Amino acid sequence: MGVAHGEVKAEAPHMGGINEAGCGRGPRIGVYVCHCGLNIAATVDVARVRDAVAGLPGVVVARDNKYTCSEVGQKTIADDIKNLNLDRVVIASCSPRLHERTFRELMARSGLNPFLLEMANIREQCSWVHGHDREAATRKAVALTRAAIARAALLEPLERNVGSVTKSAMVIGGGVAGISAALYLANMGVKTYLVEREPSIGGHMAMLDKTFPTLDCSLCILSPKMVEVRENSNIELLSYTEVRKVEGQVGSFKVELLRKPRYIDEAKCVACGLCAEKCPSKAPDEFNRGYSERKAIYIPFPQAIPASYVIDPNYCRYFTRGGKCRVCEKICERGAVDFSQREEIVTLDVGAIVIATGFEPYDASRKTQYGYGRFPNVITSLDFERIICADGPTHGKLKRPSDWEIPRRIAFIQCVGSRDEHETDGAGKYCSRVCCMITAKQAFMVKEKYPDAEVYVYHTDMRTAGKGFEEFYQRGRSEGIVFVRGKPGEIVENPEDHSLRVVAEDADSGCILDLTFDMVVLAIGLRPPGGLVELAQKLNVSRSADGFLLEGHPKLRPAETSIEGIYLAGCAQFPKDIPDSVAQAGCAAAAAAGVLASDRIEMDPLNPVVDEELCIGCRLCEKLCPYGGIKVEKTDKGFKARVIELACKGCGVCGAACSARAIKMRHYSDEQIYAQTAALLEVG
Amino acid sequence: MESETFEPKIVAFLCNWCSYAGADLAGTSRLYYPANVRAIRVMCSGRVDPAMMIRPFIDGADGVLVLGCHFGDCHYLTGNYQTDQRVRIVWEVLRQVGVDPGRLHLDWVSAAEGARFAEIVEEFCNRMRHMGPLQASLPSGPLPYDLPLALAIAAEIVEGERFRWLLGRLRELREQGSVYGERIDAARLEQLVRDVIAEEYVRAGVQVLAAREPLSVKDMASKLGLAARDVLKQVAYLKKRGVLDIYDVRQQSPRYQSTTRIGVDDLG
Repeated sequence: MGVAHGEVKAEAPHMGGINEAGCGRGPRIGVYVCHCGLNIAATVDVARVRDAVAGLPGVVVARDNKYTCSEVGQKTIADDIKNLNLDRVVIASCSPRLHERTFRELMARSGLNPFLLEMANIREQCSWVHGHDREAATRKAVALTRAAIARAALLEPLERNVGSVTKSAMVIGGGVAGISAALYLANMGVKTYLVEREPSIGGHMAMLDKTFPTLDCSLCILSPKMVEVRENSNIELLSYTEVRKVEGQVGSFKVELLRKPRYIDEAKCVACGLCAEKCPSKAPDEFNRGYSERKAIYIPFPQAIPASYVIDPNYCRYFTRGGKCRVCEKICERGAVDFSQREEIVTLDVGAIVIATGFEPYDASRKTQYGYGRFPNVITSLDFERIICADGPTHGKLKRPSDWEIPRRIAFIQCVGSRDEHETDGAGKYCSRVCCMITAKQAFMVKEKYPDAEVYVYHTDMRTAGKGFEEFYQRGRSEGIVFVRGKPGEIVENPEDHSLRVVAEDADSGCILDLTFDMVVLAIGLRPPGGLVELAQKLNVSRSADGFLLEGHPKLRPAETSIEGIYLAGCAQFPKDIPDSVAQAGCAAAAAAGVLASDRIEMDPLNPVVDEELCIGCRLCEKLCPYGGIKVEKTDKGFKARVIELACKGCGVCGAACSARAIKMRHYSDEQIYAQTAALLEVG
Repeated sequence: MESETFEPKIVAFLCNWCSYAGADLAGTSRLYYPANVRAIRVMCSGRVDPAMMIRPFIDGADGVLVLGCHFGDCHYLTGNYQTDQRVRIVWEVLRQVGVDPGRLHLDWVSAAEGARFAEIVEEFCNRMRHMGPLQASLPSGPLPYDLPLALAIAAEIVEGERFRWLLGRLRELREQGSVYGERIDAARLEQLVRDVIAEEYVRAGVQVLAAREPLSVKDMASKLGLAARDVLKQVAYLKKRGVLDIYDVRQQSPRYQSTTRIGVDDLG
């Protein structure tokens, strides 16, 4: 049976003593070795790989393709499946993590069970890492492809498990990304739970005075969105609430939340503020970065949503002095104060989860050379936002903290906690992306308020990639802001007048600048927020080296994680500005809604199969499974293990532990793995 | 001279979620490492059976890598703790049969650690180059037998029900104590593991040898480097269980042969 194959060479399959009849019962495998343009072909001799596997038992056809994933490449495979009656396909190309799904769908379209596909990763784990040695790379590619063929011959068709879909979503984090994601989802008709660990949603955006480059009032554009969250009947806001536990999988997550007590009945409180007026205990106001005070009973900021007061038990006399005081309780006409509130566990069923946990500002006191925390007039860019904000401690007047006088000479220092090799915790080497534009904005705001103020910006280089950013930066320059390429080594304070001496080399002119300022603003970087490590572990999502959450693919799945049904929005993934956060929130919401739109979720059927003849009911598997996916039950043959298919995640820990060898893993069976091992080692 | 040009063969078991993704990242980052390592993807490092750690050596590998997620990061919550227990106990098995346990390496690589993956591979590969080919190495210690036999015995040990039962319970025993609420301290537990492996070595050795050819107790003992009475005890036990049978009697000593063909008989 001869087949014409055009310019790509393919070995006639049934040569030598093998005849149609003999081949008829064995597997009929098609092998496709991909050039991936030059990504593979530049390092691996693709033709040699093809020829090396063409004669192997069971291989009916072996071809090489320029791009196997292309329309043409896929059609070749589909045609071969049909014309040559293939029953298994081996593709030697990129990582299965990239295209396994593509090719499984091709299999299904061509009438083959998708689990009869096997891929050999000859790009990410071969050509791209052995570019220095073509011979070794080619030999390895042959070995990997042979191993894939050996495994393919033993693959068995599997039917996907089907799970139901809970038509609701949870968004974790109520900053601008989380708010946007929740609104997008709610407006698509999805019941959405928005979980925020602070007493109010709003996040860091609520703390900003203006946004770049348009100088919009930050809260003026955010608070209508916050109100929309409250008004939208599809959104249930759970503020002052943390995620305790997440179980299940895409379509049916079970989430356990911890609701912290506000000691205020949200439904009764109308935020009149009488309680706070009478409250005798004061506390530093974290919303104003500690530059002012609030009461122990407080509302984080006037536009807070939910518009409800909250009692801080660390300062409230009822808690610190053993049940005394209760002034707020007496004064509240609506009886909203409720000291009997306790922590409460709430469980939710959701089909998809969006993580929008934002960032944490870099702790500038770690840079001891700049004296933040020691010198009152050294502040951070976030402090600046509060100090210059109309709602802030100075009611919108830019003043310096040491004497609350107007500063005339102001310096900004860039990259504090960003692009910094000295930060040893793995984070801090990246560019935080927003600080250059924040400084451009803040310097501009200083000039706007006090045109004769002297403003210097010490930077590594100004990064203004964004719509309207460069134009805004240039406008600042023309207003007389001085941009100096150079990072000061330290700040020295004059203890008498608290002025600050800054010495730096201007790399553009080569001059040493020795200047004294009334105030210095440190442009702090964005860090992964506290608790992100724990949250990532609860959700089983990976983090990248910078500490933020790892996206599904850096280019094509920027709002997804490697876990189906869990998505990313905003700075949880990486520092980004407001429009990028909102855009990613939309992307995450669309992806989540896509999952929720279907009625059934198909899951890979990787569950084990128990051979009841061999099973001795020893319960090792039951003990080792963290999901309750396998249970020993009494049958008429005695105690036997039984797989709970929807609980099982297919990890294989039971199969590898079974003392009686009664558990067989599907798709990763011992025989398949041994066949791979042997084939890998056959080639030198 | 030869060790300078020796290129070891290395099989790596990579878990889908962390280490395989880390290996892919090494690729997208174009971090070069030796081509000696060839990966097998499994869903979780907890899937890697002790037998899978030994099998590559039988098939001609010089080194085996098992890479999983960092503790706390396992996609399946606790799979990597099992892997950790398993690798440790397989080291003991390798030691028992005279193979350098350094040829089996366990490490953790997250999906973000492409550079770490490349470093681990490079380092392990250099170590294997330094150790030289496994096939050329003789089992260490006073054992008079050959490497294929040593590996076949190792493979048979880890198939044993007793071994697998102990391994499966090891973490629980270490952390919670026995069913009688008795806490077992780490040193005692390690001794227990060594004792079981030493006993299983006799059992497995007898079984593997008897599956190859009929042998007398004395011959078995000398091939395994053991005292004849220890072998005799096992032979008697296995005979009682019907695993061994007398093949013939030569010079008044019976020669034994296995009644069942065990899984490793074609590997010797």
